[in-house]
Amino acid sequence: MPFVHSPARRVHRPASALAIAAAVCLALASLGQEVATQGTPAAGGPTVWPPRSSAPAPGEVQILPVQGKVHMIVGAGANITVQAGDDGVLLVDTGLASMSDKVLAAMKTISTRPLRYIVDTTEFEDHVGGNAAIADTGEIIPFREPNYSAGPQGALDTTKASVISYYTMFHRLAGPTGRTPKIPELGWPDNTYSIAQKRLYFNDEAVVIMHQPSNTDGNSIVFFRKSDVVSAGDLLDLTGYPVIDIEAGGSITAFVESLNRLIDVAIPAANAAGGTLIVPGHGRLADHAEVVYYRDMMTVIRDRVQDMVKKGMTLSQVKAARPTRDYDRRYGRATGPWTTETFVEAVYRSVGGSR
Amino acid sequence: MGASMGRQGPGRLLLTAAVVAICSHPGLAQVDIAGLWRPLPRNQDGSGMIGDAAGVPLSAEGRWRAQSWSPDDFDVAEWVCRPHAWDYSLEGPLSPVRFWPEIDQPTQKLVAYHGHINMMEQETSIWMDGRPHPPAHAPHTWSGFSTGAWEGNTLVVTTTHLKEAYIRRYGLMRSDQSVVHTRWRRVGNYLQATSILYDSVYLAEPYVRTTMMWVFDSAMVMAPYPCEEATETAVPRGTVPHFLPGQSPLPALNPKFADRFGTPYEARVGGPETMYPEFIAKMKTFAKPTVPAPEGAAER
Repeated sequence: MPFVHSPARRVHRPASALAIAAAVCLALASLGQEVATQGTPAAGGPTVWPPRSSAPAPGEVQILPVQGKVHMIVGAGANITVQAGDDGVLLVDTGLASMSDKVLAAMKTISTRPLRYIVDTTEFEDHVGGNAAIADTGEIIPFREPNYSAGPQGALDTTKASVISYYTMFHRLAGPTGRTPKIPELGWPDNTYSIAQKRLYFNDEAVVIMHQPSNTDGNSIVFFRKSDVVSAGDLLDLTGYPVIDIEAGGSITAFVESLNRLIDVAIPAANAAGGTLIVPGHGRLADHAEVVYYRDMMTVIRDRVQDMVKKGMTLSQVKAARPTRDYDRRYGRATGPWTTETFVEAVYRSVGGSR
Repeated sequence: MGASMGRQGPGRLLLTAAVVAICSHPGLAQVDIAGLWRPLPRNQDGSGMIGDAAGVPLSAEGRWRAQSWSPDDFDVAEWVCRPHAWDYSLEGPLSPVRFWPEIDQPTQKLVAYHGHINMMEQETSIWMDGRPHPPAHAPHTWSGFSTGAWEGNTLVVTTTHLKEAYIRRYGLMRSDQSVVHTRWRRVGNYLQATSILYDSVYLAEPYVRTTMMWVFDSAMVMAPYPCEEATETAVPRGTVPHFLPGQSPLPALNPKFADRFGTPYEARVGGPETMYPEFIAKMKTFAKPTVPAPEGAAER
């Protein structure tokens, strides 16, 4: 039969046939592609696969510019937030004591202005270990002249940075009389607050230090309003389930409430992401969406454990039911000082479980 | 032979020549993918029944996660503007895509392809200049961080630094640890993508998608797709809708309900086995659900 049909068919047939032919060729080509198993991904071209994301080598720190006047130092224990400008430097947390020299060196590459303030978000050693050594290099601007004739109460040590925290945290860091304090006195908070928030205006921006209990009753988060960055401390730990110190007043209920507060503060630029950036206590730089996912996870786990407690389940029964099971591969740990089991136990206790 | 060729006529000869030309395409390595691309109709994964995971290699964790998902999740104020992540958008609805190159003018070398997808205005950059992926503490985004390299005429893109997102819009999730391999092939006016999703958290094996194809359309219009954060929704602020273990009412998780294909429940819960053709024979040994699913049980 001659290749003569109606004009319409003459126009369309080769085109559709070509499309089919293309599809056939593509399908054949894709059949030849090797799909690797989960454990051994296929080598993709000249690059290493999967690409390795670098992290600081043990004992080293890395600096990540965040936005505005804010940087983040990674690798010194908990993440450290640095806000720097003409007024000087403000640090949120100081990392491990053993990393203080590295932190100071990193800080100097960001600004050579004097360190004025340290804000402690929580009392754990990986957040406050460097307080003494780092505060000692600072210099606070006195809000009044020292009056030495008034005795010790009138003396102001202006040769160190001022250390800010919620007051309950100070009590636990200093400890009761006669006990060895958690950190040297030089690093104790000397500028505490006991209400919902403490406010500063520093480096040409409002700095709001908000009391948001989470893993203790004394956590703070720090909102740099012009830079549009929140330093969240352990309220956000993208590396694992958060530590909840029941003895220090921490609870999963407080966590969820404070995460909801953080979500209210963090305004996304578009599509639930970007905009306000969040420096977590541990893990990568985050934004609104990361906090919402974390809040969702914490809320789901709280609700499940709460339901189990209402049903009268014992702690061992709750552990056996694995209320965290869909999140364990992402956040769980089987070894170390804070495991999935210790987290479940803390959640159980904080929602009223007692058996 | 000559008679045979004569019977085929010049049209078939032309078609044969075209097929040969297309199939010998490796000679035309590094084909430019820049342009406006209109999606072609494609088969959608699954039956559309809400909760159906057939063909998705969910891990146990992925299945558990799916079984706690509530449709009210879409009414959480914080998630109203959550977009389809780039890798989901490729096979999702309204996926016209535009690619344009970034050229280093002094050397005329390709630095990157930038991409814009219509659905919720997702953007990507595929860096072609050999730069490394960012450090582990860099932010994750809906499109992730992508680098590309040519394998013959296939642009192989590797994407890391992704935010958690859905594979299907009813609780089948991939984690923020996922890595996506996307293989772009241009054949004449057609562009085809094969994506391979690796996720050690919610998948037991890589998930391969091959149905995405576009045709070049220089007249295609890309409409804006803005989204403003919701202030009042049906879900009270601070509430996270979900189902407690064993209490999900999703139709696909009810063994009695039948989807339009009569897919057995054992297939609908997904898992690696359900991806492979061998499973079809096994599926025939399972009881077919008979109770018609209620109105609204299917997504589309």
